[in-house]
Parts: sequence; C-alpha cells; structure tokens
Amino acid sequence: MTRFGYDDDDVVVIVGSGAGGGTLANELCQAGIRVVVLEAGPHLTGADYVNDEWEAFGQMAWTDPRTTSGSWQVAKDFPNLPAWIVKAVGGTTTHWAGACPRFKPYEFHARTTYGDVEGASLLDWPITLAELAPYYDRAEIKMGVTHRHGRPPLPANNNYKVFANGAAKIGYTKVSTGPYATNAEPYDGRPASIQDGFNFQGDKNGSKWSTLVAELPKAAKTGNLDLRPDSHVAQILHDARGRATGVLYVDRNGTLRRQRAAVVCVAGNSIETPRLLLLSASGRFPDGLANSSGQVGRNYMRHTTATAWGQFDKPVHMYRGETMAGVIADESRLDTDRGFLGGYYMETIALGPAFFAKFVAPGGWGPRHSELLDDYRNTAGMWIIGEDMPQSTNRITLSGDTTDAHGLPVADVHFDDHPNDVAMRKHGLAQGTSVYKAVGAVRTIETPPYPSTHNLGTARMSERPGDGVVDRFGRAHDVPNLFVSDGSQFTTGAAANPTLTIVALAVRQAEFIVRELNRSLV
Amino acid sequence: MAVLRRAYPHDAFPDGPYLRVADAVVDAAAADPRLLAQLVQGLDDLDSLRDLPFTELDADSALAVLRSVDGTPFFRGIVDIAVVALYDDHEVWDLLGYEGPSFDQGGYVNRGFDDLDWLPEPQIEEPAA
Repeated sequence: MTRFGYDDDDVVVIVGSGAGGGTLANELCQAGIRVVVLEAGPHLTGADYVNDEWEAFGQMAWTDPRTTSGSWQVAKDFPNLPAWIVKAVGGTTTHWAGACPRFKPYEFHARTTYGDVEGASLLDWPITLAELAPYYDRAEIKMGVTHRHGRPPLPANNNYKVFANGAAKIGYTKVSTGPYATNAEPYDGRPASIQDGFNFQGDKNGSKWSTLVAELPKAAKTGNLDLRPDSHVAQILHDARGRATGVLYVDRNGTLRRQRAAVVCVAGNSIETPRLLLLSASGRFPDGLANSSGQVGRNYMRHTTATAWGQFDKPVHMYRGETMAGVIADESRLDTDRGFLGGYYMETIALGPAFFAKFVAPGGWGPRHSELLDDYRNTAGMWIIGEDMPQSTNRITLSGDTTDAHGLPVADVHFDDHPNDVAMRKHGLAQGTSVYKAVGAVRTIETPPYPSTHNLGTARMSERPGDGVVDRFGRAHDVPNLFVSDGSQFTTGAAANPTLTIVALAVRQAEFIVRELNRSLV
Repeated sequence: MAVLRRAYPHDAFPDGPYLRVADAVVDAAAADPRLLAQLVQGLDDLDSLRDLPFTELDADSALAVLRSVDGTPFFRGIVDIAVVALYDDHEVWDLLGYEGPSFDQGGYVNRGFDDLDWLPEPQIEEPAA
C-alpha cells in the first residue's frame, strides 16, 4: 500500500472516491502523477456487501445529518435524508444501477435552446457535445457499457418484458436494455452478470462498473495512489496568493491532519462539494473558497423524478435480475408541445418489499397500503428521470445550528420544484402508467420522488467567471490549482443519468491537469 | 399487536411477524424515553376513544380510531418503525413472494430472471435509426 508524506507538496489531493474522484485518480496515476485520495467513508468491498436493503443502507449510505427546506416533497417525506448517496470507497458508483445515456447536443445549450425561462437560471455549458464525444467514447470503453463499442446487450428480465411490451403497445420504439455499465459477458477482468439484483446494495459479484472495482484497483497498481478511507476533509487551505496548498482532514482516529498538495480536486458529490468550499471560507475568501461569483451551492439540481408501478394478475418478480437494465428513450427529445421544456427517460426499477413498502407511498399504512404489498410479486416498476430547471434559490448552504460528529456545520438542502418540473413529472407519470395499462395492469401507482440520487450543479461550469464557479475544465475561476471533479460542475442537468458524463469529464480533466502539471503552470 | 394488525392488515399473515414488529417497537421505545412516553399515553388513549377497548373493536371502527390519531407523534413513531420491520421480516418476504438474498444462490440467471411467459419476447435493442 503506497503512502505519501503529509508534507509531500507535489501530490494531487482528491477529495472523494466516486465517479469523478475515483476516475480522476486512476487517470492521473496512469500518467505518473502521485495522488492522495481522501474518502470520508470506510473501505467496503464485495465481501462486505449484503443482499438486504435496510442492512445495506445502514452500511453504505451517507447518514450523517443534513437538513432540508423548500417546498419539494422530499423535505416533507424525508426531512433528514435529502439525498440517497454513499459514504464509502467508490462513492455512489457502488450504489448506482448503471444506466449510461449520453447528453443530447442541445442539452449543452439549454439557455440558447429553451430561452429565458421565468424563475430558472439556465446557462449554456462552455463545452459542446462534439468536444466531449471522444471522452464519452473513452468512458464507455472504460466502463464496458453494453450496446456500445461492440459490447453485447443484457438480456430481457421479467421487469423489462412488461416495460418493453407496454412501451411497444403505446407506440414507443426507442426501447432497449441499455446502455448499461454492467457486464453482459466477462470484460476487463470482471465477470458477467449473474442477474442477482441488488445493484443498489454494492453488487457483490463485481459485474457492475464502479470506481471501487475498476478505477481504484488499477490506480493502486501503479504505485502512485495513496487511498485513505475514513478521512473527512474539513478545510481546503490556501496561501497568501490565493492558491490551494493542501487540506485539513479528520482521520479515522479523530486526529486532524494536514496534507499538503500541488493541486486539490473536490469530488464529494454536489452536496458535500459546495459544503466544503463554503466551510473553507477565510479572510481572503470570506464567502467561501472559489465563491467570488456567489454561485457556490446555487443552482442545485436533482433531476425531475417519479416512479410508476403497474400491478398485474400474473407474476412479474421484478427484483430478479439487473435493477435498471431497461430504457425507453422516446421522451428524451426537444418537443415543447408536451407542455414543458426538456426531455426525460423511463428506466426499469425494482425494489424489495422493505423499500417498496417504505417508498411506494411515504408514511403510508392502512388497508390500501397493504393491498399494494399483497400484490408485490405481480408488480413491475419504472423510474422517470428528466431534466430539471436550475434555479439560483435551490441551493446548498451551511446549517446554522446542526453540526456533524466533527463539529462542522452540516449542509442544508433547499429545493422548490419549478413549474416545468411539475409539468414534466405529471406527463411522465401519465405516460408511465399508460405503458403498464397497455399490457393489462389491474392497478397503477404513482410514487413521489425518492431522496435525491442525482445531485448536480452546485459549482457549475461557466464561460464567464461571474456566472459560475469553474471553467470548461472544471478549474475554479478564482483558484488556479483547485478543481471540481464531480457532478457539481454540471451547468445544466440534461435528462441523462449523470455518471457517464461525470466519468467523461473526469477523463478530460485529468488530461488537462497532466498537461498543466507538466508545464509546471498549475 | 392489535394496532399493527389494523394498520398493516394482511389476512394471510400469521401472528409471528406482527409479534416481532411489536417487539421492535418495544425495543426502540426502551432506548428512546420520548417514544416510550408517547406509547404509554397513546395506547391508553386508543382504548378511551370508543366505548370498547381497541382490541374489541370491529375492523372498520378500529381503522377509524387509527385514522383519528394519524399524524400524532405516537402513531408516526409506530408507523416509522413498523413499515420497516414488518416488510423486512423474512417470513413476510416468503408470504409476499420475495426470495431475498440471491448472490449466494448464484443470482437468478438460472433461477427465473426471465421466466415471465405471459407476454411475448420484446426487442432488447433499439432498431437502427
């Protein structure tokens, strides 16, 4: 196990080991750069994971306190759990299902495409799909995405059969089992899926791409990776010139450590990343590090989501097999005739009875709730995921009164639905339930959003420094050797599940950092 | 347990799962004085809301009583624990047709992940544009 010194000031420090941080770490290590990854959570592996929803939740989820505000339903249903993300090595790539759509070209130009939308803080990305396309290719090859680059599709499972037949009945054509970053056949030293489900619970089989099983082990082999789990970063340090010099973190023994660095990259997911920047306020940066624009924490996006269920008079057993290996892409298009801007995907989803009971109707009980559970085996499910409108008032701030175990103020997550989000959710649920009715559903159920799994936009990319936090490579406008390397960079959210784009951006950012370090200009 | 049976009624369920959920509520209350206090008072209240004790009410009356306390800290405290404990109970999984952990049995690749036969085999790839 490689260990670098606390005072080694030539290392790159990466905060977080998920899709952004873990990928960036591997890319830098492969290029010969020495990297220290500080991960707040423990180092769990396949042997640790359990095929049990609640036990796994307790083991993997970020359950440190957070607070919520705003009119979104999550604040009412789950006031202390605004997001369902992971605190462990591999970050939320150990929890994600694997869906890998790319952004559409117009989704990089949301402001230009959608125009001036009241209440929204839309902005064009400073990059185009054409610029990102080669990195999407590299990300898909790295992740072994099915249906792409010669990788075969996953087969239809029971949940997909209901979903795809219903889709065809109502005229959808862009229906498939992917793209999906779980092996249909052995690839990259990892086995084919054994259709064991439990994608959200870590994937014991290792068929699913995650930074835990793919990027970090490869990085470790180079000898350039110093991975430190149970290391919670409390502050990014800077010098008199305003350049980042390292970080302070609480190690597993509760000791405060200083790690010096040549470059600091923050990839703590879009709630913890702005929290850390805000916590790093100083005399020179009184409103938080990299926040001269005032945009740190703002424009928080979480995708417009909902779940539609169909219950039938015949068995489905939706939980057997890959959780999300099914997508209907027909509604991901530019078409304002539907009464809203942006598009959405429908993707299969399955929950076990424990989560189904908790989430199908939050707070639910009584005879009707029991009926839904009695039909559990005959249930098919789909998740609706679409582009939500960024709003400057949807934001992450530091809680005024709640602190974590280290005494650090926790994040407050404020969110109000935009009218566009409400219209899209309504449309998606109507279409989703129609899919199931078309193949004979005896009952359909509409479930409100879960705690957010897609947290985006709180340190957004912008061409002009006043409009956002980072530039086209994720480098902070204000601090030349500070990078944001996760979904916080997203200028807008698009309809696509974000992981593929986070990975593509991390590959691209790594190239930039290597180039800059080699020129010694960082 | 009578409260749990009325709140989460399943004719097919024996007493076992409900008893285990009741134990879970009691265990939680043992570690949470506020919840314990709510339970002591709340359960007592249920018996006083009608002429008969709660356990002697018919199903509709019992449901009406529970609806009248929905949203109280007492009842939310029970629901928050019970909805998790009941449907995480392995006997309940069997009753609902859920097979639980799969990895140690080789997944479902040879155990019916695609055995649904009441619909035709669908396309799995998008037709070429």
